[in-house]
Amino acid sequence: MDENRMAKVERLKLESAELMRQIRAEDDIQKKQKLIAKRDSVQRKVTAISNNRRISRETKRDIVAYSFIAPNFIGFAVFTLIPIVFAFLLAFMDWDGSNAVTFAGLSNFKRLPGDTFFKAALKNTILYVLGTVPLTMIASLALAIVLNQKIRARGFFRTVAFFPYVASLVAITAVWSMIFHPSKGPVNYILLTVFGVPQNQLPKWFSGSLVLVTLILFSVWKYMGYYMVIYLVGLQGISGELYEAGSLDGANTWQKFCYITWPQLRSTTFFVVVMLTINCFKVYDIAVMLAGGGDGKLSTSATVLVYYIYQNAFNYWDLGYSSAIAMVLFVMVLIVTLIQFRYEKKLEA
Amino acid sequence: MSSVNGNTETTKYRSKRKNQIIGKVLIYVILLFITACMIVPFLWMLSASIKSNREVFLMDPFVWIPDQPKWDNYIKIWTKIPLLKFVQNTVFLTIVVTILQLLTSSFAAYSFAKLEFKHKNTLFLAYIATIAMPWQVYMVPQFIMMRGMGLNDKLLAMICLQAFSAFGVFLMKQFYEGIPNDLCEAARIDGMSEYKIYAKIMLPLSKPALSTLTIFTFVNTWNDYLGPLIYLKTETKKTIQLGLKMFIGQYSAEYGLIMAGSVVSLIPVIIVFLCLQKYFVEGVASTGLKG
Amino acid sequence: MKKKIVSVILTAAMLATVLAGCGSNEAAPAADAPAAEAPATEAETPAAEAPAAEEAAPEEASGEAITLKWAIWDKDITPYWQAIKDNYEAANPNVTIEMTDLGSTDYMTVLATELSGSGSDFDVVTIKDVPGYATLVSKNTLEPLDSYISEAGIDLAQYGGVDKQVTVNGSLYELPFRNDFWVVFYNKDIFDAAGVDYPTNDMTFDEYDELARKVADPTFGAQVYGTHYHTWRSAVQLFGVLDGQHSILDGNYDFFKPYYEMVLKEEDDSICRNYADLSAEGLHYSAAFSGGDVAMLNMGSWYISTLIASLESGEYDSSLCGNWGLVKYPHAEGVEPGSTLGTITGLAVTSVSDQKDAAFDFVEWVSGAEGAKVMAETGNFPALMNDEVAGIISSLDGFPTDEASKEALSVSNLYLEVPYAEKVSEVNDVLDTYHKSIMNREVSIDDGIASMNEEVGKILGN
Repeated sequence: MDENRMAKVERLKLESAELMRQIRAEDDIQKKQKLIAKRDSVQRKVTAISNNRRISRETKRDIVAYSFIAPNFIGFAVFTLIPIVFAFLLAFMDWDGSNAVTFAGLSNFKRLPGDTFFKAALKNTILYVLGTVPLTMIASLALAIVLNQKIRARGFFRTVAFFPYVASLVAITAVWSMIFHPSKGPVNYILLTVFGVPQNQLPKWFSGSLVLVTLILFSVWKYMGYYMVIYLVGLQGISGELYEAGSLDGANTWQKFCYITWPQLRSTTFFVVVMLTINCFKVYDIAVMLAGGGDGKLSTSATVLVYYIYQNAFNYWDLGYSSAIAMVLFVMVLIVTLIQFRYEKKLEA
Repeated sequence: MSSVNGNTETTKYRSKRKNQIIGKVLIYVILLFITACMIVPFLWMLSASIKSNREVFLMDPFVWIPDQPKWDNYIKIWTKIPLLKFVQNTVFLTIVVTILQLLTSSFAAYSFAKLEFKHKNTLFLAYIATIAMPWQVYMVPQFIMMRGMGLNDKLLAMICLQAFSAFGVFLMKQFYEGIPNDLCEAARIDGMSEYKIYAKIMLPLSKPALSTLTIFTFVNTWNDYLGPLIYLKTETKKTIQLGLKMFIGQYSAEYGLIMAGSVVSLIPVIIVFLCLQKYFVEGVASTGLKG
Repeated sequence: MKKKIVSVILTAAMLATVLAGCGSNEAAPAADAPAAEAPATEAETPAAEAPAAEEAAPEEASGEAITLKWAIWDKDITPYWQAIKDNYEAANPNVTIEMTDLGSTDYMTVLATELSGSGSDFDVVTIKDVPGYATLVSKNTLEPLDSYISEAGIDLAQYGGVDKQVTVNGSLYELPFRNDFWVVFYNKDIFDAAGVDYPTNDMTFDEYDELARKVADPTFGAQVYGTHYHTWRSAVQLFGVLDGQHSILDGNYDFFKPYYEMVLKEEDDSICRNYADLSAEGLHYSAAFSGGDVAMLNMGSWYISTLIASLESGEYDSSLCGNWGLVKYPHAEGVEPGSTLGTITGLAVTSVSDQKDAAFDFVEWVSGAEGAKVMAETGNFPALMNDEVAGIISSLDGFPTDEASKEALSVSNLYLEVPYAEKVSEVNDVLDTYHKSIMNREVSIDDGIASMNEEVGKILGN
């Protein structure tokens, strides 16, 4: 049947071409117009037939493709896309989760600037991001460069560096809070006995202004192995010839890094920074586990945005306000990502 | 004249070698230091898990293995809390999520990478747009919705939550795009259906990407805390992370037991990681995760 | 190659640990058995007495089978849930009580989640604290009990006025069945060793502070702490409300100051454990007291039953804390002794329940005389407190035998830790946060209190 139709199309096409030739040859306007009309109808037939065939084949193709996508996409749409839309709407509503929803306009957002805890959470989150992103990036890059050399037991070192990333947070925060225990922990013990820090000046790692430093140190420790792997992949993509050329020109190690490695790793760094920023903005469990103490509550020195979102949602049932804070989180992640994209585009151009 | 020249050459060579040796030594020193930082907390965990509460913080003298190791910490931990139940829940959850994630992601990714269809770009954009959207932004509405569907306090909720991530589709798609189209075309000419091409050709080729995705999914599901915290309320449904946190809250001073529980909670992820790690770097490389 | 070997070794090591884990797992049930039996026997004793209560069985006892779903926490370590269930079921054979354990850690948060929205099928819920109660009431998830109460003819005066502190706009949404109050626990052995007199039922805060300092021993390595404050804000702030002139909802918290000063000074002098330490390790008060290096501990009366049970089961080392006693809370100068803080635990009927009458009957029973007896026999303080109940508790095996400890159970004034107010949940969190900041010495006492005043002012002003 397919071949049948194909033959028909061919015939019609020939007819159309013949008509076209006649049109060109014809001088009489009226006859010419008749011919044009005739050719148009032939042409339409051709499109109709071939379209018909194309649609049916396309539909078939689409159905196959959609059947591949459907299992994931349905789940994704129901459990991710819909809640996202819901989150945007909720920020403009007042709702306690059980009574009727009321429209709140911008009032949830207007509350933000006067909220001490929100401001503290915002400040801490930003400081945490500013501290963690560059430090993790530098540490993982350095580690990747070292582990990209030909050295003994390279695989062992790589595995070890990756350990903290796979290890469960509850377990390793428990260890950290023992190691950095303000009065009994080995770190402070070393400070006391080796470095002679007086007992009453020993750092309290989990409170006051130090708590953010501890959080940052912990995050760098935990995540550098992961980003190291990504950098390793980036490094392996740089051709050895570049370095050979550099050596011939008499470049030292540092120069090679500045003029070859760093520029070549640009897209890797872009990826690392974007992922790191997104991950850092959503910090929650690290803060609660390291600074939350027994009851998991965070004081103004350690509170973070996600904690405050959770608090407002599940303790106060102020769902609208909680969504408004979530929007702030989203906008910040978005801004950072867009800036990064811009910068990346600019460099590429 | 020539001998002088030769001399400078050798000194140059020597100093270069000397530099190289110093460099090597320096690299090892740095490496050992970093490795120590990375691994000492784990050694401390192992060591503390066989100590009594008094020995844990005993610094003078500090020993890694106490004279009388308290192995029974590892026995007690199973009776103090329903750890077995927690492990079962977590294993069930992790395995189901990982399998679903691998299947549905690779399925969808195949379509995005190798097939042409209507609205392809729009659909893919929906995935991409959510990658930069932290889950925490929509966790509350998501919870409200799931509660409305009667999924509160059900392990099924955690499965729905974690099994369909945009990240998995993205990662697999990147990988499939690296596989030459000719392979699929040839199979199509041979009359293979798309499903067969996926199962017989693509899937066997995607070991590195699947391993990478397995590690990510497994690690994330196993170690997730906030998700289970929001969804799982009954003790018999809790995951090991929640259970461990609960245990720490109740037996805060039982350091040895806490550490024993921590060690137990680490083992499965580390096994999975060690089994799959040889594919891991390759997987990250081929999925173009580097950007 | 090297890499492979290392991986193999590591894997082998891990596997070995797993196997060790599995091995221990098999041993688990055996070790578990005696522990599991203990609460069961405890629960059975009151059950045997159940027939006595049968006369009080309500009319619908003969009716069709009813199943009530009841939300509770920590079923395994709290003996009275099972005892209540058994006794009530014995008295009402047609009723089955189905308990759902939501865990104690975020109980009220979890409950609020369960009850808001339509998915819940609880009939009766336990109310653990007032902030959570306020949330549930504002979400219209609880049934007002006034009509039931007047119908059943319950005299609210029996609760000694605590009901008024949880009345919301003239309606009551819960009936208290348990009423804990704060006392001072002390370790007699430590006082004996130091040659210091035991604390008494009539101490001013100055005397208490002095005593703590006398008995403390700051020698490094053999440290003895004179007293211990758990990380809750209640443990410090609420000294301030005992004079009856202040409340936690005042909006002005200047009256906290002397107590913060006292506690921080004690910390500086190593009289008590450091807050930053406690917080870092999340030290539980029971771990602190049972460690045998804490002379005094201010804590709720719920700790009595835990102490007795844990000493009996060998969970606590009786050579460290077996010789304990309790006295009344210290009091401010010029106030009569016996004023203390209270925490009530109540039962409420959910608004979605379709068997509210049966549910209320259960609530009435538990919060009434029969329930009170069950509570007392398991070592807990019922809300319906009278001399008989106090007698039951002080004659429990393991309760200190000295007169002062018995006497400590009589309370003259009870102030709720947190009385009801609309925004009490938010106020509570503000006070928690700045308590943390002050105790961690992130801010000075004055600044911390100023912040409390300001932030609570904002909430109450709204």
